[in-house]
Amino acid sequence: MKRFYLRWGGVLVIGVIICLFGLARYQREVSHIPIEKFLDEKPTRAVRVLGMVVGGSLNRGGAGEPIQFTLSGTGAQVPVYYQGEDPENLRELKKLVIYGRWNPEEQRIESETILGVPNYGFVSWAYLVTLIPMTLFLFNMERKVALLYIMIKEEKVYQSEESA
Amino acid sequence: MILNRFIRWLGRYEGWFGGGAALCIGIGLYMGLVTSPPDYYQGEVVRIMYVHVPSAKTSLFAYLVLFIGSIWYLWKRDPVIDNMCHATAGIALFYVGTALLTGSIWAKPTWNTWWTWDPRLTSFAILFLTLVGYLMLRTFLDDKEKEATFAAILAIIGFIDLPIVYFSVEWWRTLHQPMSMSVRGISFAPEMLTPLILMSIGSSLLFSYMLMVRTQMLYLERLLEAKQGRLLSETRL
Repeated sequence: MKRFYLRWGGVLVIGVIICLFGLARYQREVSHIPIEKFLDEKPTRAVRVLGMVVGGSLNRGGAGEPIQFTLSGTGAQVPVYYQGEDPENLRELKKLVIYGRWNPEEQRIESETILGVPNYGFVSWAYLVTLIPMTLFLFNMERKVALLYIMIKEEKVYQSEESA
Repeated sequence: MILNRFIRWLGRYEGWFGGGAALCIGIGLYMGLVTSPPDYYQGEVVRIMYVHVPSAKTSLFAYLVLFIGSIWYLWKRDPVIDNMCHATAGIALFYVGTALLTGSIWAKPTWNTWWTWDPRLTSFAILFLTLVGYLMLRTFLDDKEKEATFAAILAIIGFIDLPIVYFSVEWWRTLHQPMSMSVRGISFAPEMLTPLILMSIGSSLLFSYMLMVRTQMLYLERLLEAKQGRLLSETRL
């Protein structure tokens, strides 16, 4: 049984390490903050901000010109100055994630990247939801096999009928 | 006899199957969660594919094993094969359940619903219910031989659903997307294909390993039952 628990301990450690890597990548590349939090902190480093493009605020300049619009959260709004390719999903009343930094002089977010799709972060966690039952199922089976061997040994199953 | 010999031969490499599965799934999960890029349209949601597709494919393979095993049992009446079929059904149920669950999690952000009566989804749910029925049947009867025969017949009848599951996306215009990997070609970016292949290999190896462990477990349970029964009768005498 000692080897069995050691083996499963190893599986658990590897699983936790993969989860930690996944979490680190999620926080580094996917997670975003709401506009209210962004305005509280006003970070000058680049962060991802989730909000909706306010109707009537989208102002597309000419080709290659910066695009300006207002992004709104539940109780706050912030102007966005975006310079980059005109993405197809940049529309009024559309929820977007803007990757940019706060410009304290202009009092706006300056961005060069618009992320197309909201992140649905729960999907990453769904990995765990679906893999944990499968792992427990296997763990339980292996444990049962190990215990059955012990029980059968105690019951002397392999002893012949004559000598029993 | 041939199948028995094959099972025994496979049993010798049990550890290799388990180790291989752990390695492939470990690397596949790392790549799927950390290094593979998000999809242009689906974003992060696409990552569920690395669990969903291998689970769905393995569950179909598992049912195919159950089907072949059931025919073999009805032909040869070999209790070892019956044990294997019983074990396969339990594992297949887990795989089908995982595929349904992950599909549902994927469907919510993509189709804006957890469930829809789409032909692929419905036929997969029927597969799930067939396996539940199979496992329930295995607990109803006292006569082990009758139980095995009826279960084998049910598994063979249930096999009708398998081609429906597989070809449903081709036969009907469904909400579920068509096959991304078929004889017509592969429509995947290489950065996504590598973790998907690793997870698929890992999932198949894990199924084989689980099958060996579960068959062993069911055999040992029967052995213990038989021994305890013998000891009990000796005590009574």
